[in-house]
Amino acid sequence: MTENRTHLATRILLKALFPVMKVVVADDPKMKKRFEGVTARVRFAVACDGDSLGTDVVFNDGALFVDDSMEGPPDVSFRFKSPEAFNAFMAGKPVIPGIRGWRHPGLIGKMVSLLLAMKILMPDARPKQEEKQRLKVKMIIYMITTALSQYNKGGDPEMSRWTGKQPDRIYQMSVDGEEIAAYVRVKAGKTKAGRGMYTRRRPFVHICFNGIQGALPVLMGDVEFVEALGRQLVTVEGSPEYAANLNDYMQRIQALIV
Amino acid sequence: MSEVTGTTWTVYDANSMTQAEVYGHVLCDIGEERDDVVGLTADLAKSTKIGLFGEKFPERFFNVGIAEQNLFGVAAGMALSGLTPFVSTMAAFASMRACEQVRTDICYQNLNCKIIATHGGISFGTAGSTHNAQEDVAIMRSFPNMTVIIPADGVETANAVRACVDWDGPVYIRVGRGFEPTWYDSEEYGFQIGKAVTVSEGTDITLICCGVTVLQAAEAAKALKAEDGLSVRVLNLHTIKPLDEETILKAVQETRRIITFEEHTVHGGLGSAVADVIAESGKGCAFEKVGLPDAFSLVGYPEDLYAHYKLDTNGIIEKVREVMGRDFEEDEDWEDEV
Repeated sequence: MTENRTHLATRILLKALFPVMKVVVADDPKMKKRFEGVTARVRFAVACDGDSLGTDVVFNDGALFVDDSMEGPPDVSFRFKSPEAFNAFMAGKPVIPGIRGWRHPGLIGKMVSLLLAMKILMPDARPKQEEKQRLKVKMIIYMITTALSQYNKGGDPEMSRWTGKQPDRIYQMSVDGEEIAAYVRVKAGKTKAGRGMYTRRRPFVHICFNGIQGALPVLMGDVEFVEALGRQLVTVEGSPEYAANLNDYMQRIQALIV
Repeated sequence: MSEVTGTTWTVYDANSMTQAEVYGHVLCDIGEERDDVVGLTADLAKSTKIGLFGEKFPERFFNVGIAEQNLFGVAAGMALSGLTPFVSTMAAFASMRACEQVRTDICYQNLNCKIIATHGGISFGTAGSTHNAQEDVAIMRSFPNMTVIIPADGVETANAVRACVDWDGPVYIRVGRGFEPTWYDSEEYGFQIGKAVTVSEGTDITLICCGVTVLQAAEAAKALKAEDGLSVRVLNLHTIKPLDEETILKAVQETRRIITFEEHTVHGGLGSAVADVIAESGKGCAFEKVGLPDAFSLVGYPEDLYAHYKLDTNGIIEKVREVMGRDFEEDEDWEDEV
């Protein structure tokens, strides 16, 4: 079913952006230390036409995972009165959510710091340190692949048509020389995002960035994709037409959520 | 060479470019270069085109009459005496009437004898089951020491004939009747015995072909790209033995869907050889063998028979669409990994 654009944006933020928090907690030493030993459930709930959308960010002895079943009582919850409010908050606009669980001020503080760390994904965030640059690239690639899949699952009509006519295909993204890779599998209208290299077959399209310094300007939109190809910041193996389609959807998603 | 390639051809092309005709001319060239090359046939000099060699080198050409067993026995003797015999007869006769002589006289002794078998498959469809050779590849590839080649067209026949002169041991080159269209427009595409040629690259499915099906598959791949947006890999697996296992397994790994197309029974030919490789590798894929079923072929014009058995462009397209609908893995979990 086709969701309206606001709900589609909310879905992508919840399903594609939140899981990337895992990368921050696992790869950023400061964050890792901050959540060391933490076991808690933090809920993000978005009121929506009498219903509630959302996801839980669960910490298990410092390890983070997201759980969209939203079962069990949360220790802390962030509540948004509408999808519009949630989308604006995630885009860095001044929206204040309702917060419950003040008996865990430390956890709230940690969660807020994690949300602030996610600002590294914003187009205007330009990390200088190599490690932060690497983190940004990894987060974007993970988020983009999941967002593409969610954009289809959310029923965007054009993307549904695009995926609907395709046989089983793999769209792979990777960074040369780094262990950063993610893919989207497409099959007759269905999509699945996965982490790492898909090893069961050759990708239909493989977008390979030339290291972190090749990936950053492309992913941040500083360089047009075609120009990036010319400058060898990125190479594309496989169908150039379908690679261009994918890039087009990536841009639409960015416009939708930022 | 004519510039006409593809699915249409003219009488001029048929006379100058077909597999058998090219074979005759190339053998004449080889005869100029090599004194040890001799030609033999069993009363089929004209039909198999080895007559061209006979006209040019009458002292090195032997027609033993309608006596195929004798033909191969004589060839074995000549090979043992240091000559390089090229033996031409119809594929049905080489593989079945003279089966024991090919096996015991030639293969058992690993003799340097080159068999050019014409009228392979159903290319002589109107002649009926007595003259069709729908089992010859299965028979020949089962013989130890034998190399089996099925060229895609006249150009590849030229390459195969040239390559087999210096190839150690017996070689069976299976060609058509002499009215096959050509696919290659040059001999410079890297032909090597035992090494498949990639006709088109693709990642959705691989069509493994030999002989006349190569051209049909190449045309089908173009149509499938234009009509269905499919990325179709076409492999010309001209050498059935020794088999290019590396290229087959690469295709399995990279496309996970394989269809073989051959003008031969599906039992024991190209499809079976490819299936063996896949099964032994333990790799999974959607797989289908397309060829002649386990029945004697219908009688008719080859083009009509190719269409009937799904070996023409339309048939190949139909088969590809069918196999594209199949799953190559059972993973039906479509939840995003987070």
